Amino acid sequence: MNLYTGKLLVVDLSTKEISTEPLRKEWIRQYWGSWGLALRYYWDAVTPEVDPLSADNAIVIMTGPFSGTLVPLTSRLSLVSKSPHTGTIFTSNVGGAFGPELKYAGYDGLIIKGASDSPVFLKIVDDEVSLEDASDMMGKGIFETEECLEDVVGEIGAKTLAIGPAGEKLITYSMIGSESYRQFGRSGTGALFGSKNLKGVVCKGSQSIAVADMPKFIERVTHHKTENLFTEDNLWANSDGTAVLVDVTNEMGIHPTKNYSAGISERKETLNSDAVKAAKISDRACSGCPLACGKFTKIGETEVEGPEYETLCLGGSNCDVHDLEAIIKFNRVCDDLGLDTMSCGSTISMAMEMTESGRHDFGIRFGESDEYLKLVEEIAALSTDRGRDLALGAKRLAVKYDSADMSMEVKGLEVPAYEPRGNYGMGIAYATSERGACHLRAFPIFSETPFEIEALVDEVIESQNFNGIKWSMCYCDFWGSINTEITADLLSVGLGEEVTAAELDKAGERIWNLSRLFNTKNGFGAAEDSLPEKVLKNPLRKGPNAGKTFDPEDFSVALNSYYKKRGWDEQGRPGTEKLAELGLDQI
Amino acid sequence: MNKQLFADPEKCTGCNRCASVCSAMKTGSFAPSVARIKVNNFPHRGFAVPSVCFQCPNAPCHKACPSGAISRNDADVVVVDAQKCIACGSCVKACPYGMIELGEQLVAAKCDHCDGDPACVKECFPGALVYTEKTPELMKLKGMQMKQRSSDGRSEEKRHRLGRAILKQLRD
Repeated sequence: MNLYTGKLLVVDLSTKEISTEPLRKEWIRQYWGSWGLALRYYWDAVTPEVDPLSADNAIVIMTGPFSGTLVPLTSRLSLVSKSPHTGTIFTSNVGGAFGPELKYAGYDGLIIKGASDSPVFLKIVDDEVSLEDASDMMGKGIFETEECLEDVVGEIGAKTLAIGPAGEKLITYSMIGSESYRQFGRSGTGALFGSKNLKGVVCKGSQSIAVADMPKFIERVTHHKTENLFTEDNLWANSDGTAVLVDVTNEMGIHPTKNYSAGISERKETLNSDAVKAAKISDRACSGCPLACGKFTKIGETEVEGPEYETLCLGGSNCDVHDLEAIIKFNRVCDDLGLDTMSCGSTISMAMEMTESGRHDFGIRFGESDEYLKLVEEIAALSTDRGRDLALGAKRLAVKYDSADMSMEVKGLEVPAYEPRGNYGMGIAYATSERGACHLRAFPIFSETPFEIEALVDEVIESQNFNGIKWSMCYCDFWGSINTEITADLLSVGLGEEVTAAELDKAGERIWNLSRLFNTKNGFGAAEDSLPEKVLKNPLRKGPNAGKTFDPEDFSVALNSYYKKRGWDEQGRPGTEKLAELGLDQI
Repeated sequence: MNKQLFADPEKCTGCNRCASVCSAMKTGSFAPSVARIKVNNFPHRGFAVPSVCFQCPNAPCHKACPSGAISRNDADVVVVDAQKCIACGSCVKACPYGMIELGEQLVAAKCDHCDGDPACVKECFPGALVYTEKTPELMKLKGMQMKQRSSDGRSEEKRHRLGRAILKQLRD
């Protein structure tokens, strides 16, 4: 088979049964790979009401047709499941090299079902797959677990997925780590592994990936790489990394500061790309990526790959911490214990506001970087009252302390580092993302009309549809100028079959709608496509957007327009016509 | 003067495109495990060390070969004559760096500079691989790497040991 391996690995942790099944070819042309294909398999594996942390929940991890080939920026790997943090369906993607390695081992994807009665790890070395005892690894951080997995298996260069103590303790914003500093970061992937008693996965592959016409494939890859990838649109990732956005968002007045009270930070030069580059000791790349956006930094004795933009904000300016060394430490400890830096940082900044305002004393105020490092340990270990409280995340913390006016989340997922009062498009994106507030599904920060509702609705819809197919090809977002024409060209040459941009565009919309459908069958509707109270009611302070809110009436207009343009009803349920158009009516 | 292939670990980002394209050129499919260039990646330390064949002047693989299949050509590249190779594996054992291995056709396989136009070098965006006439700096860099010889172990163990030693030297 070309591009695909044609084989899925299926592991039932309850029965300890390991099997393979052929990739369903009829789904390839509909869903293509990664997100789309994982979604389709997940749809069949569970019912919408499934309890995320139960043995009935499944986890589908899927590569795409370009993974492990010379197509650049296609090593990302999707994990689809239901989130214990939000109750929505979600996909979380990880970079690095695990995805390509899974393919070199002979599998397009991995389906995990059931739950083990004892701690196990999954060992994959080409055709030899087994579940092994992980008791000795329990309680270890991700870094140590990775070493153990590699040593136990005795394979040099094996790639790993691992959880730390936070995932073992089922903290709902814990994550799965890979290659130390990469993650299936959001939505509680760590707790999903933890609930299945799966400490990690280790994989080594020595097989190959075929293409229909190798010389032509390499020629087309080189052409698109040179003409499209290596252009101004994308080279910032190489020269500056994501920290470049610190200056960008400050200039736009959408930089999250002090639990989203202000739109600019007066001390941005401590956290911007110049600051990160001053601390940088190497550039790091995911498998197959020439851009190497990763900035590996060291200050004092602490090193980490990062910090990336979200961590610089949600673990930095949003906590009023402007000490890069402290943020590097925060980044590293979250990466090791297994916590999403975004949800963790955001919940901490909420606790800071609650303490300073007298709402509830969590013993931490804005700017207290020594204290926040202590707090991360307490959260991961659930060792103190405040640790256990903050492990709840912003939404459940708000419920417990009647503090919805201070929590910044949508559907329970904490808001990323782009202020929606300064760009309504981001607000619409956060509200309509299937997994809760997310900046990846649509990213209209560069819109020339950041408050024009209709134009923004159009842009958000277009982006979401495109990301449906983009993430099904495992593309990294930092190939910002990639499109379905290039993708169709590479697929056609790789598969030896004609693929059109139009069918890929349709697939993207199909994938977005299928995600939505799952959520609606699980009771999600217009009420949940909402924005935080702060955004709707509190005027933003400081910067070019001072005084702005995203008024509830404007938001309502935006949401209704979004539903209408998508062919969904007033509750955001995809209509029968739309489902038929996308071939989802029989599903 | 003949060109040589030099690797600079400080510039290597661990992307592995070199191994990917090498395997595609030499075997017709993407299989970095059979590439003639390998990357020793240390993600936890943010460091990577390419393992390349040094085209040794008194190549141990050349000396070890009982069938005369290995020789050094006019471009100063150590090459394998597939017709003469008997797949005994003596060269694999002899190489101190794990850079010659028995391929799928049971023929010893190693880097041959792609007849003077190395594909890996063209793929290397960070410029960690260069194909050029020697300079004192490049020879010093190469010499530092060539010091990391292993007399036993599997090929991947030899490469890994070289990688770990360079990491220690340059980072710690």
